[in-house]
Amino acid sequence: MIDHIPQRSDLTQRYLYSHDIASPPIISKFFKLADVVMQPENEDDVLRILLYAKEKKIPLIARGSATSGYGGAVPYKGGIVVDFSRMDHFEVDEERKILIAEPGAVWWDIERKLNKLGLSLRVYPTSAPSSTVGGWIGQNGYGVGSLAFGSIAENVEKIRVANFEGIVETRDLRFYAGLHGTTGFVVKAWIKVKDYEDLNAYAFHVDVEEAIKIAYARKHYSALYLTRRYLEMKNMVSGNEIPEKDTLVIVTAEKLDGDEELGEEIWNDRFYPLRIRRAGPGVVAAEVLIDAEKLKAYLNSVEGFGAGTEVWFLKNSLCSVLSFMPVDERDGRSVFKYTFSLKALKEAKKLGGRVYSTGLYFSKESKSFYENFDELLRFKKSIDPENLLNPGKVFPSGSLPIIMGFLEVLS
Amino acid sequence: MRIDNELIKNEVFICAQCHYCRVCPAYSVIKWESTSPRGRVYLLKGILKGEIDAEITAVEDFYKCTTCGACEVVCQTSIPLIDLWERARAEFVEKGKAPLPVHKKLKDYAEKNGNPYGEKREERAKWAENFALSESAELLYFAGCTASYRMKELAVNSVEFLRKAKMDFGYAGVDELCCGSPFLRTGQREIAYEFFRKNYEIWDRMGVEKILTSCAGCYRTIKRDYKEIGKELGMDWDFEVIHISQLMWSLVKSGEVELEEFGEQVTYHDPCHLGRHMNVYDEPRKVLESMNARIVEMESNRENALCCGAGGGLKSQFKDLSMEIGKRRIEEALNTGARYLISCCPFCKLHLKQASGGRIEVVDLIEIVNKHAKV
Ligand SMILES: Cc1cc2nc3c(=O)[nH]c(=O)nc-3n(C[C@H](O)[C@H](O)[C@H](O)COP(=O)(O)OP(=O)(O)OC[C@H]3O[C@@H](n4cnc5c(N)ncnc54)[C@H](O)[C@@H]3O)c2cc1C
Repeated sequence: MIDHIPQRSDLTQRYLYSHDIASPPIISKFFKLADVVMQPENEDDVLRILLYAKEKKIPLIARGSATSGYGGAVPYKGGIVVDFSRMDHFEVDEERKILIAEPGAVWWDIERKLNKLGLSLRVYPTSAPSSTVGGWIGQNGYGVGSLAFGSIAENVEKIRVANFEGIVETRDLRFYAGLHGTTGFVVKAWIKVKDYEDLNAYAFHVDVEEAIKIAYARKHYSALYLTRRYLEMKNMVSGNEIPEKDTLVIVTAEKLDGDEELGEEIWNDRFYPLRIRRAGPGVVAAEVLIDAEKLKAYLNSVEGFGAGTEVWFLKNSLCSVLSFMPVDERDGRSVFKYTFSLKALKEAKKLGGRVYSTGLYFSKESKSFYENFDELLRFKKSIDPENLLNPGKVFPSGSLPIIMGFLEVLS
Repeated sequence: MRIDNELIKNEVFICAQCHYCRVCPAYSVIKWESTSPRGRVYLLKGILKGEIDAEITAVEDFYKCTTCGACEVVCQTSIPLIDLWERARAEFVEKGKAPLPVHKKLKDYAEKNGNPYGEKREERAKWAENFALSESAELLYFAGCTASYRMKELAVNSVEFLRKAKMDFGYAGVDELCCGSPFLRTGQREIAYEFFRKNYEIWDRMGVEKILTSCAGCYRTIKRDYKEIGKELGMDWDFEVIHISQLMWSLVKSGEVELEEFGEQVTYHDPCHLGRHMNVYDEPRKVLESMNARIVEMESNRENALCCGAGGGLKSQFKDLSMEIGKRRIEEALNTGARYLISCCPFCKLHLKQASGGRIEVVDLIEIVNKHAKV
């Protein structure tokens, strides 16, 4: 039934498909490895894998490019990792300006093709050179263009999902987007795109209050704010000489009076936020969503810990804030530095903010993270009573949520 | 398995696992993490952390890489990945996990005959029989193994061109030995050091100051690796090393050589060893432009160019994979509508010609230039 599907179960492959970009110390030592990795080539393969898993009661973990850091793609209870990299076909309905993509299609491959057609993505993550359509919908999130267009979920017209019930096509993403494959696998997505336009990037050396004013003053495409500390770290590892001052970059079709050369330099490096790992080697990251009004207070607290930060201004005065602290993974004493993620979250929550995503590590936040959590829980139980679709993610189970809660209090 | 190399120990912890290195030509075909650059880095990290050992299939997959360096160009954290692959392979060899069977055979051949093709040493200079080349000169032409045994027309064209340009040069004949490139790339460093010593001795004896290569692999090895090996062994290394594309451009630019018009539509394939490894992108293109050739770039070009698929020991050990990559490059070339696919490396020419199945004319720049150089 599933023999024809490309699959590997040798130890090396199981090891290589059992992590994402985060390397949390200690707890990850208790994670199991994937039992097998399967690479479906089409929707029928996905349905066969679902049937097989249901019959054998084996967990299924969806995986795009594993560039997220919330453990969503980590098979910590073992099971079948379903790697969508072979389902990477996409096409464009030029008239309706709709991209129709399989889950494994990579954002930047899509953007290159769209540009040739005079079109462009409305939003894409800064991991676009490798991250996938299914992965971003699976985690949901914000990125380039989210100031104008909001989250990826807000830009999806329709999705096609495969789960134990079969295939569903729906415009109601609430039961799937940001749910890390716990309610089904996205096997196709219809995504709104826009006309291509020439955009310019302008840099401004301003404090955070001024940055907020500029970012929201007019209808701009994107706005990114980098703190002095972040730029210091970046210069240190890259040998660049970007002025080490708090810097706002506005990306817009308008002409502005900011520094265009510096704006372009910073913007052209937007896919490389993790260059600073060289400073550790390694970083511990804290990512939160917070209202623009509270941004200054939040930045004061995280920068107090010595972190460098990048802020993406989003629609409706929301900000996604990503702070980094260098950490040497090899040094056993650095374990405590990892509590930075939790300390920062605690600060954000005091200010009305919340975690950026749930996945595995922050499933304890799900109740407040998802507005319709109770409804989601009922839905999950009805379509996946055995809890085989990415168990332990989003819907808290086992001891990890308790440990994480405990660590947050301690931090 | 223990890993001792410091470069590996430091760099693998810097990797962000962002997967931008999915541009890897081998991974693009195989699609399993064990062949992706980030997968290979993660494996090394796992070995260092004592979480996993290098199983035989993992080592094999580690070698499914042309060491083309496409990964290094896009690396989030600027890891010197080409060096990392080579050092890791050397660790595998040291710890008895490699070489792979064909790579070992090439080394056995080379030990016996001074070339990895299993050809006779005394036939190395056969291509040069009609030229009566000098055995001493400041400028040495280093033909390399591929042009000496497999793509003789490149050595012949090179020498004819040098004659037309009235250059005074020498050639080591049967004393020339493999530069060692295939062995440095596959982790068999010892024999490469031996070739270094022997070649060095001969060049010293011949009074060589400047070395000219028509092979991108030899150029990379002699200019970059030999310099480092020399330093490591505490030997003076002050040879100037140039690739024939650089010489052609300097002669054309200065007016010392004039080229006839070549108004064809062409596309240029950047050999990894010349482009990404050594940063030579412009000279071959400028030579072509000076002849009024109409260059149409392939979808991937310059530092993002797709590898031909032959390098890093891939062609010898994993023929099908190597051919599949070659075919993808040929598709890119065909999409340009060009009549000629031009490269600057005998190994690229040999492989792309085989992969093309005759659908496009594959030539080396030196062949075109020699044909069009006015006497
Ligand atoms: C350099 C860098 C920059 C980044 N920038 C951003 C950014 O700007 N914005 C942002 O939000 N994130 C960003 N990220 C995090 C990450 O890249 C994104 O979340 C990305 O969308 C994940 O895509 P992926 O293909 O790697 O998915 P994965 O990491 O493989 O999966 C993500 C989640 O989706 C689930 N999933 C995967 N495929 C499917 C499917 N077909 N159906 C259902 N669920 C599925 C997985 O189980 C997992 O829970 C960045 C990461 C890096 C390394």
